[in-house]
Amino acid sequence: MPVKWLMHWQPNSGATMSSQILAEVCQCVEGFGGAAKDGRWRTTLTIYRPVARDPSSTASSAPAPTPGDLPRDFLGLTLHDRPGAYFFILRHHRLILQADANVQSLMDKLQSYKARVVLHFEGFQYQLGDFQLRVGKCVQSHADTLRGIMMEVEYLPLCSIDKSRQIMEDFVDIWQDAVIKKSLPGHFINVELNFADYGLQDQYTPQHTALQYATCIVQLMATVRS
Amino acid sequence: MMPQAQQTTSAVGALAASQDPLESAGDATAEAPPKQVALAMERLTRAARVIADIRLGADRVLEALFMAADTRDQSSNKAIEFIIKEETSMRQHFQDLRALGRQLEDSGVLNGSLKSRGNSWGLHMPLVCPDGAVVAYAWKRQLAGQAGASAVDRTRLALKAFTDQKRRFFPHLDDEVSSDGEIGTAKKRLNSQGLIMSQREELTEKKSLSDILKDLEHEFPNARIFTYQRLDWLKRASLLSSSAIENSADPLKEQILNHPSNTRFGSVNVAAADQAAVIELLVPSVFRAVVSLHPAGSTNPDAVSFFATDEGGNHIHARGLSVHHVFRHVTEHADKALQYFVCVDNNLSLSLLLRWICSHQTLFSKTCSKCGRLLVMDKSLALLLPPVHRAYQETMSTISSQTESTPATKAVHPDHISAYHIGCSADDC
Repeated sequence: MPVKWLMHWQPNSGATMSSQILAEVCQCVEGFGGAAKDGRWRTTLTIYRPVARDPSSTASSAPAPTPGDLPRDFLGLTLHDRPGAYFFILRHHRLILQADANVQSLMDKLQSYKARVVLHFEGFQYQLGDFQLRVGKCVQSHADTLRGIMMEVEYLPLCSIDKSRQIMEDFVDIWQDAVIKKSLPGHFINVELNFADYGLQDQYTPQHTALQYATCIVQLMATVRS
Repeated sequence: MMPQAQQTTSAVGALAASQDPLESAGDATAEAPPKQVALAMERLTRAARVIADIRLGADRVLEALFMAADTRDQSSNKAIEFIIKEETSMRQHFQDLRALGRQLEDSGVLNGSLKSRGNSWGLHMPLVCPDGAVVAYAWKRQLAGQAGASAVDRTRLALKAFTDQKRRFFPHLDDEVSSDGEIGTAKKRLNSQGLIMSQREELTEKKSLSDILKDLEHEFPNARIFTYQRLDWLKRASLLSSSAIENSADPLKEQILNHPSNTRFGSVNVAAADQAAVIELLVPSVFRAVVSLHPAGSTNPDAVSFFATDEGGNHIHARGLSVHHVFRHVTEHADKALQYFVCVDNNLSLSLLLRWICSHQTLFSKTCSKCGRLLVMDKSLALLLPPVHRAYQETMSTISSQTESTPATKAVHPDHISAYHIGCSADDC
């Protein structure tokens, strides 16, 4: 599938994020000459926390794993372009797994993990020749505060990460020039990921996308805290 | 119903002299064809008449302009009147043509896929039907079928239509009958360099298809080259589509697709070499180029098209167009390069073309030789594109300098072929 780069908004020190900035970024894309608004998109990321088990109820059975054994940084993702799949990521163990979307109901039944935080990435999609751009905000479920601004850049003709690197870098440069012209208080960053650590190949797959979102979240949390 | 048909046939007959051979299967309409088809044919003949009128009108306008240019003041008024008269009649012709076009669109004869196909020489390209036959309009084969003809007759009609067109529009292609020695009449007028060219032709014998492909494999280890019979290619094209839809992260499947269930060159099967009609050039993760040969087994390329490596579908053939803008523009430029190679030296055209195609392995990494950048926004097209134009004149001069010394030397390395953005192209060929 086509290569994608995920970028998130890094505000300048002291500046805040607001929907005004998102609107300006959208305007920037629309002014890119030939960009056509295509529709909406939404990706959902869930951060799970393990459910603490009651020790008395398991006295008779084999020793149940204590909460300390269960991985803590367990993420689940629904991608907008793969609605039938659900992706699990364990960051510290460097594991990524693709499952059917029905696994979520399975998780509910198992009750081993509970959703701690649910984040929605949603916004508009634009077609710009061979590029597809998705600009959107990151909001927490049931809350309205803007947690972050993201942009997905997809180059349709290429599937190899290696071969598309120069093209994508050039695109990011062109894009940054356009953003600078608007003198917005911040810029977009793309985090360079080592996909090989997670056992992923050069051919781009939805797992790569899931990983980019997971890494992005970490960055966003860091930004929010600072 | 019958008067319609008679009117159509008489119209066709009357225009037979000035008509292009696209209408050659029109005599099959004598037996009750469907009414819409007859209407469509009549409209097409009318459109052809209007186009002929437009051509004549253009000549007359030119004539009037010449007159106005070297005439004295007294007759300048006459010239101006003439020009105005021609202009109004041309406008009327164009309006008629537009109306006819709209009617044809409504009746489904002209559709999007036909319109979007670029005419690189201003000629109407023949249509490739799903089973590989090439005819002017796919629905004309339906006509031939309803005339009660058998499959053999239908094929014969289709082949006749195509060879007529080919003879008329591609006179420099070898006919099946001609042998190697007949470099003769058709090509002599293409020899702009006269004596030197004929000497060169004596030095380099016409290489066989397998030799050309072997040389190419040595020179470009990155590229994977396969040959197919025409129908086999169509089967493979639909295989490509089914794998592109699914998650293509399966390296095993990739191997199966690219492995010799197809006629891999270097095999002992001599018969296959004679029937190779499609060459597939795959540079993994960069592009897939499809070249069609006519006649099968020869070394005469007659069409080329570029696609993305994960693109699949029935449009993946030498006359199809990619869904991606970048490959569409490369294909458009490739049409011109092919025409150039064929015109300049028919013997070397295939190897020149294939080497030029392989130079595109740097399509997404080589910067433009003029502006030094890779990705640039083309203002007129409103598209971000890498340099999609690769120079084809350079290939020619380097090969000619090599052949006088040693015929088997490697010519210029493809990385030295300059690349340009569409807007940076120096010349417009």
